[in-house]
Amino acid sequence: MLVLVLGDLHIPHRCSSLPAKFKKLLVPGRIQHILCTGNLCTKESYDYLKSLASDVHVVRGDFDDNLNYPEQKVVTVGQFRIGLTHGHQVVPWGDPESLALIQRQLDVDILISGHTHKFEAYEQENKFYINPGSATGAYNALDMAIIPSFVLMDIQNTTVVTYVYQLVGDEVKVERIEYKKN
Amino acid sequence: MSFFGFGQSAEIDIHLDGQETRKTAEVKTEDGKKEKLLLYYDGETVSGKVNISLKKAGSKLEHQGIKIEFIGQIELYYDRGNHHEFTSLVKELARPGEMIAHTSYPFEFSCVEKPFEVYTGSNVKLRYFLRVTIVRRIADLVKEIDIAVHTLSSYPDMNNPIKMEVGIEDCLHIEFEYNKSKYHLKDVIVGKIYFLLVRIKIKHMEIAIIKRETTGSGPNTFTENETIAKYEIMDGAPVRGESIPIRVFLAGYDLTPTMRDINKKFSVRYYLNLVLMDTEDRRYFKQQEIILWRKGDKQRKPNLQAQNTLVASHLVKNEPHQDNKENQNTTNNQSQQQSIKEDFTRANNSQSTENIHNDPFESKTTEAPIQNMQREAGDGQIDTEASAEQ
Amino acid sequence: MPTTPQQLSPIEEQEKLLDEALGVVKAQAFQMKRCLDKYKLMDALKHASAMLAELRTSLLSPKSYYELYMAITDELRHMELYLLDEFQKGRKVADLYELVQYAGNIVPRLYLLITVGLVYIKSNSNLKRDLLKDLVEMCRGVQHPLRGLFLRNYLLQCTRNVLPDVPEVDNEDSPEGNVRDSVDFVLMNFAEMNKLWVRMQHQGHSRERQHREKEREELRILVGTNLVRLSQLESVTLEKYQKLVLPGILEQVVSLFPDEFHIQTLRPFLKSCAELESGVNVKNIVISLMERLGNYSQRSNVKNIVISLMERLGNYSQRSDGVGMSSSNEPDHPNGFLADVQLFEIFSDQVSSIISTRQYLPPEDMVSLQVALVNLALKCYPAKVEYIDKVMLSTVEIFQRLGMDRLESNSMVARELSKLLKIPLDHYNNLLTVLKLQHYAGLMQHLDYSEEVEQALSLVSTLVADQSDQPSGEIDLEELSEEQSLLARFIHQFRSTVSDQQYLILIAARKILGAGGQMRIKHTLPPLVFQAYQLAYKYRDNKKEDEMWEKKCQKIFQFSHSTITALVKAELAELPLRLFLQGALAIDQIGFDNHETVAYEFLSQAFSLYEDEISDSKAQLAAITLIVGTLEQISCFSEENAEPLRTQCALAASKLLKKPDQCRGVATCSHLFWSGKSLVSNREEIHDGKRVVECLKKGLRIAKQCMDVSVQVQLFIELTNHYIYFYEKGNDQVTVQIINQVIAKIKDEIPNLESSEETEQIQKHFSNTIEHLKSRMECSEIDGVSYKDIEV
Repeated sequence: MLVLVLGDLHIPHRCSSLPAKFKKLLVPGRIQHILCTGNLCTKESYDYLKSLASDVHVVRGDFDDNLNYPEQKVVTVGQFRIGLTHGHQVVPWGDPESLALIQRQLDVDILISGHTHKFEAYEQENKFYINPGSATGAYNALDMAIIPSFVLMDIQNTTVVTYVYQLVGDEVKVERIEYKKN
Repeated sequence: MSFFGFGQSAEIDIHLDGQETRKTAEVKTEDGKKEKLLLYYDGETVSGKVNISLKKAGSKLEHQGIKIEFIGQIELYYDRGNHHEFTSLVKELARPGEMIAHTSYPFEFSCVEKPFEVYTGSNVKLRYFLRVTIVRRIADLVKEIDIAVHTLSSYPDMNNPIKMEVGIEDCLHIEFEYNKSKYHLKDVIVGKIYFLLVRIKIKHMEIAIIKRETTGSGPNTFTENETIAKYEIMDGAPVRGESIPIRVFLAGYDLTPTMRDINKKFSVRYYLNLVLMDTEDRRYFKQQEIILWRKGDKQRKPNLQAQNTLVASHLVKNEPHQDNKENQNTTNNQSQQQSIKEDFTRANNSQSTENIHNDPFESKTTEAPIQNMQREAGDGQIDTEASAEQ
Repeated sequence: MPTTPQQLSPIEEQEKLLDEALGVVKAQAFQMKRCLDKYKLMDALKHASAMLAELRTSLLSPKSYYELYMAITDELRHMELYLLDEFQKGRKVADLYELVQYAGNIVPRLYLLITVGLVYIKSNSNLKRDLLKDLVEMCRGVQHPLRGLFLRNYLLQCTRNVLPDVPEVDNEDSPEGNVRDSVDFVLMNFAEMNKLWVRMQHQGHSRERQHREKEREELRILVGTNLVRLSQLESVTLEKYQKLVLPGILEQVVSLFPDEFHIQTLRPFLKSCAELESGVNVKNIVISLMERLGNYSQRSNVKNIVISLMERLGNYSQRSDGVGMSSSNEPDHPNGFLADVQLFEIFSDQVSSIISTRQYLPPEDMVSLQVALVNLALKCYPAKVEYIDKVMLSTVEIFQRLGMDRLESNSMVARELSKLLKIPLDHYNNLLTVLKLQHYAGLMQHLDYSEEVEQALSLVSTLVADQSDQPSGEIDLEELSEEQSLLARFIHQFRSTVSDQQYLILIAARKILGAGGQMRIKHTLPPLVFQAYQLAYKYRDNKKEDEMWEKKCQKIFQFSHSTITALVKAELAELPLRLFLQGALAIDQIGFDNHETVAYEFLSQAFSLYEDEISDSKAQLAAITLIVGTLEQISCFSEENAEPLRTQCALAASKLLKKPDQCRGVATCSHLFWSGKSLVSNREEIHDGKRVVECLKKGLRIAKQCMDVSVQVQLFIELTNHYIYFYEKGNDQVTVQIINQVIAKIKDEIPNLESSEETEQIQKHFSNTIEHLKSRMECSEIDGVSYKDIEV
């Protein structure tokens, strides 16, 4: 099962669009679920995600006006409980221990957060943490070297294979990280 | 039989009932000629009369008895001495005694089982014959007469089309389909070839019907492949996306039903070999076994048959043969499930130039290479042994 | 005397080959006719087949092949006449159609099949439809271009007088067929012949290409015969033509675009479209044609590239049809034929003539024609900006002619127009290119939201255009926000590599966009603010080259400040608050002269917005959390600035409307006193353990006040986690006793909870917390933190 994880698009505040090379990869019909860490900012961006897969989960980012997006969300995909939060509420931002608090609260196998615009994927105490970065490579005051990225999770039974797509220069680089649930 | 210039001699004539009207069938003889024999089916009674006429009038013929046998036997050419009789029936026509005048003996083998079909192959022969023997002290008088036997089958319950994708990675990928897996001897093979990827320069494509006769067992197994027919179905090089029709009439070829392990002595199997030849005379081929069976002839006279049905039946492309309607539903249903897809992937043209490895977006296009089609160097001379690999 | 074999010239060679072939034909034909005279049909067929086998040759040039073909088909007539005669005499030649199919080679087989099929058709018209279908289908077996073309030509010739030509009648399924079957038949044959013909160009060696192309040209006529055949069908009515014939031909003409032959047919084809009677949906036809042409010429470019590359490598063995290898190559320069054919001109002229002669065409259709035209131009001639401009101009002219000054918002035509205007933006992704479109702005004026767009454009042309107020009627909010976010995206295209110019661009844009009104600026100003922040970073990065950089940064943040303030004035609160916080972060990072003051100002602005403008409890929590998160990151404050800010945060958090919010708020604030940074700590984390614990204690107090037990427990667990967090971080103010107390408290309360999903979650949360502690205990003494006294 393919789950697309992305967020912090910041269109139109900080960027005009998704990188064309990403758009080309993201074709309708292949992805079953989308988990979005927020900062879609406009309905158009949401509609775009909807066009890729019908099952779209979004949490509220700091620049989302849509108050209907929850702050946190738990989605179950296959055998995995996946927690989703934008991450600006977690102080200090991007801090692994603070994120662990959320993981415990939500009781999830995988916690997905964003906000830092920096891709992360790591295992900690047998839980898996993913930050898909910013799909547009949007400006971030704390980091001037933002690489556009998103994540695709291939979930099979108790295994998640995480593929991160990063636009380095003009080239899409893909890395693979595997996580097995005990 | 008068070797010694004395004694009586007799002429034996076997007259089969209804032989003037009975159908005949052509059976190959060992020297490749064909003879017409009266045709019988399994379970049919074989009856008639044995007429014995004495050559010297007035003189008597002394004998130890007269019998008639009905024999079905398999002869393996490499083992001429041993004939394997799978059927042997005897009727006594006369007890030992003297024959004074021309005598007629009626006989009847009622409802004889004839489990196999007559067959003359390159290493084996299966025949049925009647043998009349006048037993005598010195030399028996014997007369044999062969008959033909055909085994009829009913329509197969299952007759799935053969569907397959085959290819050689990055070189040639095709999808082919034959409308059935079991054909009767007068059937028409209808099908098509669909080219998914063509990176070789194809010169032509043909379908060969190959007969594989296997005799003996264990280390003494002999296999003989014979190309019964070669039928060109395409001329020139197709491009991707092209679909080529196949239609092969079987009636014109010298075919027998498929025989499997006949009396543990031999088998005859048939294969369709799809062969593509490229401009460098390399051959690419894929063999598929088909089952041939003999359909009971409806008593019809082809000449009187309405022409449009005749033609129309040839035109049918994707449906089963017209006669086959009763099976049509099951066939279609099963064809869905059973269509064979070998371990084969269609290589999409890679749209993105990005450097992606291990990428689930791409994984559908980068699966294992396919090697289930044979390729071999060729000299352009299509030959029978080409298919003899195994 | 030994003779060296004489080297034959190619022409002589051809002559020799042809002579030989004709010799065989003559001999076999003679035999065939003799057998026919003796009524030995089988033998006659054998000789016919042998004669036809000559057509299997690959050695002959098209011209020679044609001669051979003529000779053979001439002889075949005898066979046909004989069979026809037999049939008419009532002599049934049964199974003949089957019989000829036993021929092992496909070329002779199909010629015979066609011949016999024709006889069948002539003698029994009930077979007509099925046989025609079968014949045209079976001919697929010959994929060799030359042989296939001639075979299909033979098919076409044989059937010329037997194609059913009766009108199609509903519900009638006659085996004799009707005109529809004929059209299908011819179109299919046409399609296949086209394919073969096109394929010819890829054959053989490249050095012979020119010669081959010439030959190929000559074969064109064979393909064209199909069209002649179509035109001879009398039952083809106008309607039939539209529904059946035209699309079919179109498909062919279009799918084979790279060939000059078809291109040359374009002009008359389009002309005929324009002349067609009313009622024909010319629009769809032309648009789909253009779309396909566009697609095709891109592909064929790739193909040509691939082909020439292969030629250079001298690698003839691997032929590719190109299409299979298409990638995302950009056609930077048009093909020779594109230049010659002037594809764009053709369409441009034709579209305008269609539009001008069809007054009843709805305006939106006219515009969508223009959209298609722009797409075509961009695909085929990406470098030709003038083409796009030409379309823009002609669209402007259309509106002028129609007297349409302002388009009603949300009307069909307005939508089409925005589509049209969007294409260049999406495609060029570079405003300067868009700027080359002189008529772009003019066209924009026809939109009712033109105000901003127009200004944005005039801005980039570095001219400040006069701005008159645009009346806008009723505004559809959703539509507006859609438009505006489009415009907002557009703003990111305002780019200059020179920072100072970029600054001027931003100033100008701000001036113009700022006048857009409340509804618009909330979309259009944030991008400017972020552009400004990014520009400040750029100055910082180039500080070595620009000694004025700090001043400039100050100015930028002044500019940002005033821009954000404009949003505040538009009675927005949350958005400017976020932008102020973003500003503070940027200022802290950039660290120009006097930045502390500026950062402080930005933060205080955020605070006053929080205090004065945000009243919704949910929004308040969100805002204070964001402020805390931001402040935690900022390290530029001296203690006299930092301390009040932190305290203010804690205070604000404790004053949130709901108890749980308060509790969580102060817990979040606790981090300010731990990982927060300031100048006094040398921009390191301040680690004020006491204040941390104060915050958490406050949290406990607030939690105890909660009436709902399950909420209380939930908060306790959260606080426990915070305690553990700081305990692990080495905060010596967090004692084992406190943790044990809270855990004990939780353990007391949990059994009292009513069983519910919520309770389950709480229990899970708690057990996860305990699990975490346990796992820590197992690895005890990490970084000197001891877990041994914690009671789990």
